[in-house]
Amino acid sequence: MTAPAVTPVVIVTGASGGVGRGIALACAQSGWRVWIAARREAEGAQVAAEVDAAGGRGRYVRCDVADAASVAAAVARLVAEEGRLDGVVHNATSALSPQPVVLRDAPVAELRDHVAVSVRGTWLLARAAHAHLRAVRGSLVLLTSEAGFEGKARLAPYAAVKAAQRGIARALAREWGPEGIRVNCVAPLAQSPALERAFELDPAMQGRVLGRLPLGRLGDPTADIGAVVRFLLSRDAAYVTGHTIMADGGSCSVT
Amino acid sequence: MSEALLAIGTPTAEVRRLAELLGAELLALPAAAPASARDAELERWRARAREQAPRRRIVVAAWRAEASPGALLGLADEAWCARAEDPLVDWMVALGSASALCADGGSLVAVVERPAPLDASGWVPEAGVADAVEALVRSLARSEGPRGVRVNAVATPVRLVSGPVVAPAPPLAAFPGALEREVVGAVRLLLGDDACGLTGSVLAADCGRSW
Repeated sequence: MTAPAVTPVVIVTGASGGVGRGIALACAQSGWRVWIAARREAEGAQVAAEVDAAGGRGRYVRCDVADAASVAAAVARLVAEEGRLDGVVHNATSALSPQPVVLRDAPVAELRDHVAVSVRGTWLLARAAHAHLRAVRGSLVLLTSEAGFEGKARLAPYAAVKAAQRGIARALAREWGPEGIRVNCVAPLAQSPALERAFELDPAMQGRVLGRLPLGRLGDPTADIGAVVRFLLSRDAAYVTGHTIMADGGSCSVT
Repeated sequence: MSEALLAIGTPTAEVRRLAELLGAELLALPAAAPASARDAELERWRARAREQAPRRRIVVAAWRAEASPGALLGLADEAWCARAEDPLVDWMVALGSASALCADGGSLVAVVERPAPLDASGWVPEAGVADAVEALVRSLARSEGPRGVRVNAVATPVRLVSGPVVAPAPPLAAFPGALEREVVGAVRLLLGDDACGLTGSVLAADCGRSW
């Protein structure tokens, strides 16, 4: 990876565990300054300490991605302390994400929750970070899912909001490209608490997921997913925008 | 079970016109309202929709009333909700209800507004909603397929073109197409028995602009 002239500063939402933690640690391994944006303070602070231990510099900031004031405050605090913002990673998803549901019966309030965290969160982060990303020709990365490509029979709302992020990224890449800001997505399949919970809630799911994996294993959040996100955040990906990288071990048949 | 075509959609002029062109009865979603009131109204609407007789063929079109481009950063909170969040929730409720109403062996077609990728600047919310609808269609194709229900979509940019298009020009001069020709033709194709092997597909009725 090309060594940056200055140490990049990035913020990762939903980084108090799982894939978000893996992304934070991958960035830390390159010595980056990583802000852990999450609602769970104790867990977020723990990941920030792990970032320090891994060679980066970690900070925790409380952030509810569905709340405009919270997002604006988190980004403002980061910029006030660091003086710059090079990359934003929106990884947080609704706590309902692994919960199986039949679309026809899904309460509207639950649909709203999926939309608020994934879709509104994307908008709020983009709005709050835009000027700072433009100043350094930075990068926005959205964590989507193979569900957003192929749909899921029992996770339809989750699949929908993950697909929405992909459409937003494709269009926003065109809108922000002239300003030098890149926008991309990563669709991960990784060992994470959310996937473990989904397997608990739908025992047949584990067989379906593992049965079609050409590489025969779930991804590691740091080595397999975090490294891909770090690439998209880095100058090595300076000519990549509007795309979705499938970091899924070859699982998804639709790309 | 009724053989009459049912259209489920927002009560906009374009959706009414689409239903008329297809000869469909329109089951209208609630008119736009603040989210707090709208969600309760959507729940009531969904309960009422369940009282309909099952249909063999259903078209869904949750189009918003206005269609005008604008940079993402220029959107006020209300405009963001009106262009992204509310339409997305409407689509989820409408497609979920359509799947409940669709008889075994039936056909369901979503007609969604989608800007071609080349022309997507200024249409970020609409691009997001369109991809979400595609995923919803594929989700329903999976869940309803075992009872013989096919679920597909037609994507059209018919209202989502602003100013001169980015070169190269679309292959067909009729771009962006019209409800009366390109859109209705693709819907009829997917609804009919000639499409018996198609499910989870999205036809871009955009005169070749999307590839």
